[in-house]
Amino acid sequence: MDGNAAAAEAMRLARVQVISAYPITPQSPIAEKLADFVAEGSLKAKYVRVESEHTAMSVAIGAQLTGVRACTATSSVGLALMHEVLGVASGCRLPIVMAVVNRSLASPWSLWCDHQDSMAERDSGWLQFYAEDPQEVLDYLLIAYRVAEDPRVLLPAMVCMDGFFVSHTPAVVLVPEQETVDSFLPPYNPANLYLDPDDPMFVNDLTPPSDYTEMRYQHKVAFEEAFKVITEVQEEFFRLFRRRYSFIETYKCDDADVVLVTLGSMSGTAKYVVNELRAKGYKVGVLKIVVFRPFPADQIRNALKHVPVIGVMDRSAGLGAEGGPVWIEVSRALSGLEPMPKVAGFVGGLGGRDLAPHVIEKAFRNLIDIKEGKIEMRQGSKWIDVREDAMKIREVKVNV
Amino acid sequence: MRPSESFPKVKYLYGPVATIFASTKTGSWRILRPVIQQEKCTRCGTCAKHCPLDVIEVDRGNKEKEVVIDFEYCKGCGICANVCPRKCIEMVPERGVK
Amino acid sequence: MIQLKLYGLGGQGVVTAGKLLATAVAIYENKYAQTVPAYGHERRGAPVYADVILGEEPILVKSFVYKPDYVMVFDLAVLEKGVDVTEGAHANTCFVVNAHQLNPEFPFINKFGSVYYVDATKIALEVLGIDIPNSAMLGAFAATGVVSIDAVCAALEETFKGKAGERNVEAARRCYEAVRKFS
Repeated sequence: MDGNAAAAEAMRLARVQVISAYPITPQSPIAEKLADFVAEGSLKAKYVRVESEHTAMSVAIGAQLTGVRACTATSSVGLALMHEVLGVASGCRLPIVMAVVNRSLASPWSLWCDHQDSMAERDSGWLQFYAEDPQEVLDYLLIAYRVAEDPRVLLPAMVCMDGFFVSHTPAVVLVPEQETVDSFLPPYNPANLYLDPDDPMFVNDLTPPSDYTEMRYQHKVAFEEAFKVITEVQEEFFRLFRRRYSFIETYKCDDADVVLVTLGSMSGTAKYVVNELRAKGYKVGVLKIVVFRPFPADQIRNALKHVPVIGVMDRSAGLGAEGGPVWIEVSRALSGLEPMPKVAGFVGGLGGRDLAPHVIEKAFRNLIDIKEGKIEMRQGSKWIDVREDAMKIREVKVNV
Repeated sequence: MRPSESFPKVKYLYGPVATIFASTKTGSWRILRPVIQQEKCTRCGTCAKHCPLDVIEVDRGNKEKEVVIDFEYCKGCGICANVCPRKCIEMVPERGVK
Repeated sequence: MIQLKLYGLGGQGVVTAGKLLATAVAIYENKYAQTVPAYGHERRGAPVYADVILGEEPILVKSFVYKPDYVMVFDLAVLEKGVDVTEGAHANTCFVVNAHQLNPEFPFINKFGSVYYVDATKIALEVLGIDIPNSAMLGAFAATGVVSIDAVCAALEETFKGKAGERNVEAARRCYEAVRKFS
C-alpha cells in the first residue's frame, strides 16, 4: 500500500469516531479511503462532509471536545487555510492527530512535494513527525495518538509524508492486528477540556494578559514533557510491534566525517548515496530527523558532536531568512559544540523537483570539498538544484 | 501568442505566467472519436444539447445538413453516444480513423 | 536493483500497470518493489509515465528513474507527442513495445538492448473489448523473465477480481505467448 492507504489504515486501527476531511491533491485518497471504510462498515465513524479545510479542522475540534477521537488530513494550501484553527486545537490542548501530505504552497501553483506547507506551521503548537516511507506513516500515526493523548502532553500531532514520493508510492507495509493496536491505544479518555451538559465548561473564552503568558508556558512545558513521553511510547511500540523508532535516525554516522541531515523521503535516497560514496572510500552518513516538534536538539548534538562537516537539506525556500528552517534549527543546536563543526545549508526539491541520487550526491560532494579544504563554506543555504537560467525562464517581447 | 515581430525588445517576467497557450485545444485529449451515421440520424439535437463543450452543430429536423462536430475541441467524452436515442453515434479509437 | 520506465497515454492504465507490477514482484515473488507515478495535469490522451524499481533487497531510493534497464512503451503515439523513450537508456536497456511490427526508424532499434514487441492493443480489444493495454503489456513484460507470468496474473486477479480479473489474466497470458523478440 502507499502512504495515503497506510494513513487511512492507521486511522481505522485507531478506531477514529469522527472524520471531517476536505479532499485536496495529493491527500484525496485518504479522504476517499476513510469514506469507503465507513460505507462498508469496517470503521464505525461519523463522516462529516465539510466545505473547506478551515471547517474540517473546526469540526474535528468540536468533535474531539465531545470526547471522541476525531480525525482529518490535508495538504498544502488546505493546511494554510486551517492555520487559524490549528492554533485553537493546540491552545485548547486537544490531541487531534492529522496526516499532512506535503505539497508546496501557492504561488506558483504546484501539486507536488516540498515541505513549505508543514514548515509554515512549525510554530502552531503541534507535534510534528516526518515519515520516510508508508510503513513509517502507519507507525508514526499510531505513536502520535498515544503521545498526543498522554495527560502529560495533550497536544495535537501532524504526521507528515512527502506528496507522491510517499503518498502515492506503493511499498510493502506490515499492518498490525487490531487487538495489538487496541492494547497499545485504549479508547480516548478526555482528561482535560470537554463538552458535557452535566459538567459544563466554557471552552476557549477570552483570556486576559494576566493569564495568556501562563497558558503559553503550559504549552511550552507540554513540549518538554513530550520528550519523555515520546521515548516511552517508542519503547512500548517496539515491545509490541518490533519496530524501533527514535527522535532521529542515524545511518552510518559513527565514523563519518561528513553527514547530511534530512527529513522525509529524501532520507532513503541519501542512504543509497551514502552506500555508493562509501564504496568509493568516503566516510559519509545521514541523520534523519523523525520528530521535528519538539525539536530534538540534544539528540542531534549528541549524534553529530564528532562530525567536522555537516550539511542540512531543506525542502523549503526559507524566503527572507539566511537559509532553510531545518538548517537554521540544526545550526543553532550545534552552536555550542567545541570545536564548532561547519554546518552548510542546502535548499532543493521544491515544487516536486526530485531530490534524485545525483542531486544528493552533489550536496555530499560539496560537503566533502569543504572537509578537504578545497572550497570555503558559504554563509546561508546554497540552492543545490536551481537552473542557471532561473531569472530568464519567462521571456516576452515588448516594444518599450 | 503575441506578435513578436512588432515587439523587438526582450523582457523577462517573474512568477507563474504563460504567454504561449499550448493546451487550450481540448481535441488533443481525445482517445475515442464520435462517428455519426448521418443517414440514420434524425437531427433531433439531443447530442448537441448534452455536449458539455457545446461543439456539436445540428440543424434540427433538417436531414439535408450533416451534423458537424468541432474536433479541435471535442474531448471524446462519449456523452453524445450515450444519450443518442437512435444509437447512431459510435465511439471509435482515434488511431483507427487517422 | 532493476529500474523501469513505463510510457503511454492517459487512460491506458500506465500508472495502474506500475502498481500491478510492483504488487506482482513484492507480494507474489517476495522481493521488493516500488513505483513512483509522475502525476501531472491528468487528462486522457496526454503522455503519462510511471517509474518502477525492483530489487532483491529493500529499496532505499525514493526518486524517479533516470537510467532505465527496461522501458515499456504502451503506445507509440508518445513518439509523435515528442516523448524521448530512449532518454537515459544504456547499451543493455531492453524495450517492450506495443506494436504489431517493428520499423527500423523506431528510435530504440539497434542502439540499445533487445526489443520485445506485440500488438497489445489488438489483444486488449479482443479480450477486454477496450483499448486499455496495461494487463496485456504486463504479460508481454513477463517474457523478459524479470517477473513470472504467474505473479503478474496473481496481481491482476487480486486487483480486478472476478470476471474482470479472469479477462485481464487472459489478455496477459495471450500477450505472453504472442510476444516476439528482436535483438
